Order: sequence, then structure tokens, then C-alpha cells
Amino acid sequence: MLEMEAIQYKGFRNLYNEAGEAVGFQVAIRFVAYRGPWLSQFRFGFVEVDGERFGPDKCTFIINGVEYTYDEMATLGRVKWPLKEACTILVKKPGGLAQGLHKVVIPFKEVASYIPARMDDLPEDGGFFVQSREMIIV
Amino acid sequence: MQAPQKPGIHRGVSTYCWYPLYNVNMDLEDSFQIMQDMGAHGIEILADGIIDGYPYPSKEWLNKWFAMCDHYEIVPVEYGHWVESRLYRGRECTVEESLEQLIHDIKLASYMGFTCMRTKLGVIDEILTPTQIWRDVIRKALPYAEKYNVVMQPEIHAPTKLTDQMIMDYVEFIEKEDTQFFGFNVDFGTFQYRAAEGMPVFGDRTFDPSMPEDIIPLLPYIHCCHAKYYNVNADFDETTIPYVEVVNIMKEHGWNGYLLSEYEGPNKTDYNHCMTQVKRHHVMLKRLLGE
Repeated sequence: MLEMEAIQYKGFRNLYNEAGEAVGFQVAIRFVAYRGPWLSQFRFGFVEVDGERFGPDKCTFIINGVEYTYDEMATLGRVKWPLKEACTILVKKPGGLAQGLHKVVIPFKEVASYIPARMDDLPEDGGFFVQSREMIIV
Repeated sequence: MQAPQKPGIHRGVSTYCWYPLYNVNMDLEDSFQIMQDMGAHGIEILADGIIDGYPYPSKEWLNKWFAMCDHYEIVPVEYGHWVESRLYRGRECTVEESLEQLIHDIKLASYMGFTCMRTKLGVIDEILTPTQIWRDVIRKALPYAEKYNVVMQPEIHAPTKLTDQMIMDYVEFIEKEDTQFFGFNVDFGTFQYRAAEGMPVFGDRTFDPSMPEDIIPLLPYIHCCHAKYYNVNADFDETTIPYVEVVNIMKEHGWNGYLLSEYEGPNKTDYNHCMTQVKRHHVMLKRLLGE
């Protein structure tokens, strides 16, 4: 099952390398919508944790087990992000996130051809498309 | 399947009513149960979000679909889909790229038993004028729609009015092509004359609705409608759209087809609210239709 909110509690944790060092964290998002995007229509700003921003160059995206870079997604117009699947974002951050409460902010949207094109772009700060949630690293 | 097939106006529901709730509070089978409870047999799905594995569902999923339609007396009415024009940055899709999307959906809709499609085209301006290539795309898709026996229907949605040039262009196209496989879905939001309580009004939107009688000349081209609702009160009246006038006109003119509930009011993530609204809406429709 999904959680109602766009940012999912489920899947939020640090990532470790084979030596046991935290190399980053992961956070999952879903579209609260009636369709999922074709990957080329996904627009992503950043993952922000407690004010620190991680842009597309620091992130990769796992959908149905397959990992993509943001640039790869832009070329994939016939691959669907299924609505009932969350996308897990892997974020590079040496040391990972500290134990405890974090404010997570992620602006994202999809391009929809049935509405005017001026709405295609994600504002730099995310604008209307900002999603945020208080999250805990255990 | 014992659902009504006789002439007249029938009731149905679009899965749009419950979209944020799917995979959180409910699934497709829950929708079927609720529809059966209400005697609302027709369904519109938004294919992308409803069909597991869209656009390539498994045989297993499709078999479950057929079994559920049979068990809950559900009639597949309208298959909602999109022809994306801005699929890639910096350019519009070609006619061929558009057709690839459209023909696949025609085949899948037909296989699943649908007779209508809500064919959402890419737009180029604020009044939702479709892309320049729409005639070419639809013309080339018509033989497929005919072969697979589904009608492609753009949705006429506010702020578009039923008297706009775009509608005249569609009618001219239908008559020129002499086809029964292209028509309209009129979204009742085009008749909305005031904002619903609890709904934000975006920008400088003013309400300049279509008049109920504007639908009369278009009725031959309409195969189903989005019975849009924002607020049905405890007396079972929709408070923003002149339902009595619109439905009475459709009855008087002998229109045949499905009215598909489409909730676009506030609190869409509130399960209890959405269920109360859809049930109130169907009490209202039953009374209006004399069921």
C-alpha cells in the first residue's frame, strides 16, 4: 500500500557501503494523481533536508527495481512510472543523515500535454509543487 | 452481465472520483462494490492509473477485470486516456508518435469491453485548443476506432464553452469525415455558474458558463458525459451546476448514454467525504432520471 502523502515514510533510511560507512540516504515519493508520468515527463527539483539541497546530480531514481539518472529519464517517453509504485530516490551524502527528526522537502511534478505549456516547468524553488514532510531516521 | 443496455440515460462513475484514495484506502474492486450498491453500472476508468502494468497489463489482470465486471454487473463505458504531445523537451510529438499512443489505447480499450474513449489531446493555448496536428492524428486513427468499435471523444471541459469555435471545428470534422467514431464527452463543469464552497478559485477565474440549451445541437455527437459535481448538499441538490435543467433537456431530446459521476470538489483525500458525495450525487441522479 501507499501512504496518502506524496513523500512516503516507508523507505526513508541511510545507505551504507560494504565497509559499513553511510554514503547517503534514500526517500520514496509517489504521485498523488490519477496517472503516473512517462519518465520523460517527470520534473524534479531537489531533495532538501533541513535546508541542505541535493540536486539531480546527487540523486538517482529507482522505479520498479530499475535505477535511472535524471538525464536518462528525460529520454524515456515510452516507459511508465506506474501510479501505484513509489519511486525511491537515492541521494549521495557522505555520512548520511543523523538519527532523529528531519524536515524533507521535494518539489516534483509531471508535464501534462492537456494543460497549457506554460505550466510545464518546475519553478526553481518548487513553487506550488513543493512537497514536504517531517521524517525520522532511526 | 445484467446491467442496463436499453435506450435512455444511465448512471455510472468515473474512477476520477476517488483517485487519491486508490492504493491507499481502496482498490478497483472496492469501487465496483460501491457502484453495485448504488445501481450505477457504467464505469469510466482512467486507464493509466487503474490498469496494473499500463500500457501492457498482464493476462491475469485482464481476466480479473472481466470477472469483476461480470460479478459486480459493471459495464465498461469509457476508457480515459491521453495523447501526449509534449512527451519530450523542446519539441512536439509527430503524427506517428501520437498515433502510436492512440492506436495502442484503442486496442486495449476495445479488448477490455469499452465502447467510448475519453481522448485527451495535447493543447496549445489557454482555452485548450488542441495541437495543430489533431485532425491528421484523428483521421488516421478512425479506421482503427471503427475496426475496434470504440468512439474517440475529446472532453469538453471548462473554460471551454459549448459554443466555442473549437466545438464548431470538431462538428465540422465529424460531418466532413462522416464518422460515428469521433464525438464529445461534455463535462458538466462547463455549466458551472459559481464556485463551490471550500474550493479555491484560481487566478482571476470568473464563471462564464455554457447555457443548458447549448448542449442540444451537440447531443447526436455525445456518447457519454462527465457528470461533474463539486458539492451535493444534504437535500441532494448540486449547488454549482444547473443539473435539473441540463438533465431535463437531455431527457426531452431522447439522449441515450451514460452520465459518469466525476467529483471535483474539496477534500478529495477524505474517504468518508468522497463516498458521501458520490452517494448523494446518485440519489440526485436517480430522482432526476425517474429511476
